[in-house]
Amino acid sequence: MAKSEVKKGKKAGAKKKAPKSGRRRAVVVGGVRTPFLKAFTGFTKMDTIALGDAATRALLERFEVPRQEIDAIVWGGVILPGTAPNVAREIALDLGLPHSAEGMTVTRACASGLQAVTLAAAAIERGEADVVIAGGSDSTSNAELKVPQKVVHTFAPLALGGKGSPMDYLAALSQLMPITDILPRAPKIAERTTGEVMGEAAERMARRHGVTREEQDDFAFRSHQRAAEAIGSGRFDQEVTPVETPDGRWIHTDGLVRGDTSVDKLAKLRPVFAKDGTVTAGNASPLTDGAAAVLLMSEDKARALGYTPLAAFRSWAYVGVDPADQLLMGPALAMPKALARAGMRLSDADLVDMHEAFAAQVLSVLRMLSSRAFARERLGTDEAVGDVDPASLNVHGGSVAIGHPFGATGARMVTTMANELSVADKETALLGICAAGGLGAGAVLERV
Amino acid sequence: MNDFLLELGQNPQARRLIKSLGLPIPVPQVLRRSHSPYEERPLAERAVVVAGAGELGSVLGDTLSRAGANPHVVGDEAALEPWRDPGEAFGRPATLHAPGEPPEGLRADALVFDATGIGRPEELRTLYDFFHPWIGTLEKSGRVVVLGRPAGRRSRQAAAAASAALEGFTRSVAKEVGRQGATGNVVYVEPGAEERLPAVLRFLLSDRSAYVTTQPFFVTAAAKAADRRPLTRPLEGRVALVTGAARGIGAATAELMAQEGAHVVVLDRPADDGPASKVARAIGGSVLLVDVSDPEAPERIVSDLTERFGGVDVVVHNAGVTRDKTLRRMKPEHWDQAVDINLASVVRITDALLEGPLRAGGRIVMLSSIAGLAGNVGQTNYAASKSGIVGLVENLAPKTAERGITVNAVAPGFIETRLTAAMPVVIREAARRMSALGQGGLPEDVGQVITFLSTPGADGITGQVVRVCGGALVGK
Repeated sequence: MAKSEVKKGKKAGAKKKAPKSGRRRAVVVGGVRTPFLKAFTGFTKMDTIALGDAATRALLERFEVPRQEIDAIVWGGVILPGTAPNVAREIALDLGLPHSAEGMTVTRACASGLQAVTLAAAAIERGEADVVIAGGSDSTSNAELKVPQKVVHTFAPLALGGKGSPMDYLAALSQLMPITDILPRAPKIAERTTGEVMGEAAERMARRHGVTREEQDDFAFRSHQRAAEAIGSGRFDQEVTPVETPDGRWIHTDGLVRGDTSVDKLAKLRPVFAKDGTVTAGNASPLTDGAAAVLLMSEDKARALGYTPLAAFRSWAYVGVDPADQLLMGPALAMPKALARAGMRLSDADLVDMHEAFAAQVLSVLRMLSSRAFARERLGTDEAVGDVDPASLNVHGGSVAIGHPFGATGARMVTTMANELSVADKETALLGICAAGGLGAGAVLERV
Repeated sequence: MNDFLLELGQNPQARRLIKSLGLPIPVPQVLRRSHSPYEERPLAERAVVVAGAGELGSVLGDTLSRAGANPHVVGDEAALEPWRDPGEAFGRPATLHAPGEPPEGLRADALVFDATGIGRPEELRTLYDFFHPWIGTLEKSGRVVVLGRPAGRRSRQAAAAASAALEGFTRSVAKEVGRQGATGNVVYVEPGAEERLPAVLRFLLSDRSAYVTTQPFFVTAAAKAADRRPLTRPLEGRVALVTGAARGIGAATAELMAQEGAHVVVLDRPADDGPASKVARAIGGSVLLVDVSDPEAPERIVSDLTERFGGVDVVVHNAGVTRDKTLRRMKPEHWDQAVDINLASVVRITDALLEGPLRAGGRIVMLSSIAGLAGNVGQTNYAASKSGIVGLVENLAPKTAERGITVNAVAPGFIETRLTAAMPVVIREAARRMSALGQGGLPEDVGQVITFLSTPGADGITGQVVRVCGGALVGK
């Protein structure tokens, strides 16, 4: 999409909302993501920085961003490369951006991408920057195997001290028994404090909220259907860029979406986290490689540069709950909080987009939002937050179908919703994301 | 100090061997204790089975769901009603079980019976009907709690008789399950004091009440209600004076109170400067070196607390001595020391604190003793002083109720301390085993009870004597 097209992209009839007088507003100009691929498939040879490069490069090209105007990159990631954890800066250097385009990398588990975007918006609204690229990426394929600290602590003094004789190494080696203590450990998505694997947490939530296997499979099926439709209709072309891999292959579309799946097929899968469980590979988000980038500007700057902004944040909220209780319930608190900050009710939101870590988790959160008892006890309000209309929830599918590169998901959701507001001629979208550690995020996007 | 049988009992092979040989050795169960600060959900993932068609359904539903328990309700569909909303709010849906045999494989961490609906002795049968099939499901370190209305508050004699019967029943259940480390207690809830029940339930059902068993509690609205009853860090912003805090029960109490956010003033004799300072340093508290029996002690304590902290919120009279001799051999100074330190100084210091620095909503906890309640050979002086404490508590509680100040006594049984370690081995063994739990308690067990009674949430309990004795044979 050329810049000129973007400029005249505004539809007739769309209501233009004037920003509150005197307040600097950050706007979303647009966003681009790489296709999302299952881990250890097409993107195996690309680490999180390379994926971030791909998304950001495409963003720069599609929106013809004047390089000198870029103040900063804010990037989100969960599995950060040990030797270069500030992915944002690496992207800027890889792409040859002006050295003045500074960079920071943030992590807030699965809400990292949204965190990067809202940080960028905050910096713009505080007047710290005018043009910021924000997004996130993760490459589960390139998660580093962890050498146990015991090995590090035994050998580092010898290796770094420089004076170790072969006998010293042999003596050190003899301390490293049993052998299982020193084998590299596979990374595991388990809570550090409770040791609970996230799927187990989803399983428990499903049980506690009476979410059945059938409901989860139905939800997963719908996610795939909608995502497949968005791909088939070309709707995702607006925001997905083809990526060339190091071996010269071009990846054009998401690799995980199965338009041909059926409820029957999903029902045949075996539960993964408990013998009599309900969470399967089919109704959970898979390990994924990918990146997403969002272009944010101050509204004045955007207009001065000739862009037509898509959306702005009316509010956002981050919350924490006890990870030992209901690890993934965060959005049930964060979304109402964001709504309250925006001065809105759930029914005012035209679209709702929730990160689908697990179908069980989304459905549990929806139960909580619908519960008056929950609202009274946990939110201190007299009425339930409300029922989310399935027709307006995750209109183009979600993480179960599309995949979930941890750091990229938030930026993907912001991009899809910002586009959807103008494509579908809607006013507001509510976002919700759950994250490890008992965290939750919520945000309200409004059309500009 | 170390309890051989308790250690042996931890070895499953040894346990099985003793059992299969039919040896007459009562092997006690290691008690599950809590070492973390007050949790928002002290009953997280615990299976709590609730039965009885009483008047406390909604309090139970709200309290247990909020505390993180997985509730199991025994009764009919209607019994589930009070559990619906809290279950939904906290994601703790109750499971319904029909009366009778429990389902295969279900193990209960606690059995709770709401007997407030029992109005006649004939209806006591419902207790039997529930506990008879379910008692076998109780886990190690499990909890039995029976809830009733106080007999004294019931107008009809049949109701009073039925109420009082709950105590004998619960004490006996407690003794039956004691060998598995489980406890049983009865809570009498005065009509109108229901809102003060949750904190008591959270405490009794949690691991904090490990050594409290066979005890009746009375929850009343006698004292002015606390403004707030925080679930976590309940003592934040409070100043607590603990006498005799250099070691033993006092030190354990000081540590637990500091863990809940209190600033603890560690009071002990000037001769114990070293250990007192050590305790205070470890918990970030202050030291106050005073001999409680010194006639000037009340004035010194009052002026110190007033000057340094502008007052005090919690007072724990823990300092005490034994001067054991049979009456015929006891020297007058032995009599004087025990009675003065254990009782007379407590009266004097409490009087002085009530006149000035003890703030509204305050808490006073005094240490009595099982020996004091039961009487003991060679302890005429000690028992006199420790039973005197009971009179003091009963007299003070109504007088301070209007200011929201509660006054209670804690009566420890056999606690593993320096004092008991010095006992002759045969007597020590006998003392340990002569309790429902078949073992001695730890200083922290007593500290947990004192700390609980010091929290704002314990505003329903005043004028009472709480035994921390593991269900000792002797005692009130």
